[in-house]
Amino acid sequence: MQALRLVRLPWTRLRHSSRDFLAKRPTIHWLLSALVWLPLGLFVTDCIANVKSIRGRSMQPTLNPDDSQWRDVVLFNRFAVRILHKYNRGDIVALKSPVDSKLIVKRIIALEGDVVRTLPPYPDAEVRIPPGHAWVEGDEPFRTEDSNRFGPIPLGLVESKLSYIIWPLSRMGPLGQPVIARPDARRGSPDWRKSQADLEREKWRNSRVTLAPESSSLSS
Amino acid sequence: MAIRLLTRLWSSIRNTAQNPKVLIQQLPYRGLQVSTVWTQPHKANERVAQFANFLCALHLFADHVATISSVQGPSMIPTMANEGEIALELKWINVHKLARGDLITYASPLDPSRPVCKRVLGLPGDVVCVDPTGTYAPSTEHVVVPKNHLWVSGDNLAYSRDSRVYGPIPMGLVRGKLYARVWPLRDATVFPSNFDFID
Repeated sequence: MQALRLVRLPWTRLRHSSRDFLAKRPTIHWLLSALVWLPLGLFVTDCIANVKSIRGRSMQPTLNPDDSQWRDVVLFNRFAVRILHKYNRGDIVALKSPVDSKLIVKRIIALEGDVVRTLPPYPDAEVRIPPGHAWVEGDEPFRTEDSNRFGPIPLGLVESKLSYIIWPLSRMGPLGQPVIARPDARRGSPDWRKSQADLEREKWRNSRVTLAPESSSLSS
Repeated sequence: MAIRLLTRLWSSIRNTAQNPKVLIQQLPYRGLQVSTVWTQPHKANERVAQFANFLCALHLFADHVATISSVQGPSMIPTMANEGEIALELKWINVHKLARGDLITYASPLDPSRPVCKRVLGLPGDVVCVDPTGTYAPSTEHVVVPKNHLWVSGDNLAYSRDSRVYGPIPMGLVRGKLYARVWPLRDATVFPSNFDFID
């Protein structure tokens, strides 16, 4: 018993001194007790959602359009990709580039089994997407390094899915719904022209993809 | 279950955050009884939150530092048995420092939800014979592994789907590296590299 007390003595002393130390410095104490909850926060940014700002022009005009002063700040949904493994055509996703493993933001054009008509840098005119792969492209065909350069990408490279624009306030809102012509906008107004352009771009994008027949996607 | 846990978590946060000033007045500041909003009473709720926090920490550790994983399937047979073997897997690795002969785990290019284990055969810039046995490609065909890619192959070529089927894999897919076998205990070893230069 005596020996036990002797062993515990330095520990008790350390505990008391640290308690006194922290009692005198509430800021440090506050910081330390906040630090205890760090794993919870990291888990949320790792597996559920995180916020990032977008650099570069490859997704214009959906993200970082020319008339915006700021870089877009967006919310990425990691849960749908990392845990549910759900991928849809038309989703904007963040993926690790196969060329240098840097994070890039692109749009999924086609999934496995689809046939895509490719754009110039790609050697073949048409590609059938192999199982477990996707065809990704930027919205701005001239300033993007996408599947037309490096071919279909394995879905394992996809990290998260863009779900919400947070900043700038004028374009704040959820992403991922199909584009519709805005009924409230007057014909010929800037808003109307923008939605028409969006519609046209989506039509052009879809025209290059032949969807896989349902039966084959079920069997594979 | 998950919903109940979440509501419990939320209520614990809300209860403690309701009126921090009052709480501080009630409990005079002494020692480790802290004035912070989230270490205040409602012990049961706090326990739940702490437990969730602990689980998160465990998950993060297993995802980013190291974990033990069981390996199944016939594709690595001389190295790993068909089933029942457990290996220590390091997740905190530098993908660019992988060497030929390392055992890596990566998300299968054929199915993103499926982690697979194979051996690194070629690093970027290496010239690799696609298939020496000639089943998937003529045995004379050679390719250069592109930048930021790896050529992987199972040890049991007859029962393995690897780079012979889907080509070199991007380094972004790599999840970890198998370091040692920990179970069964009598076969426990650190995996040696079986790579050798031939003159």
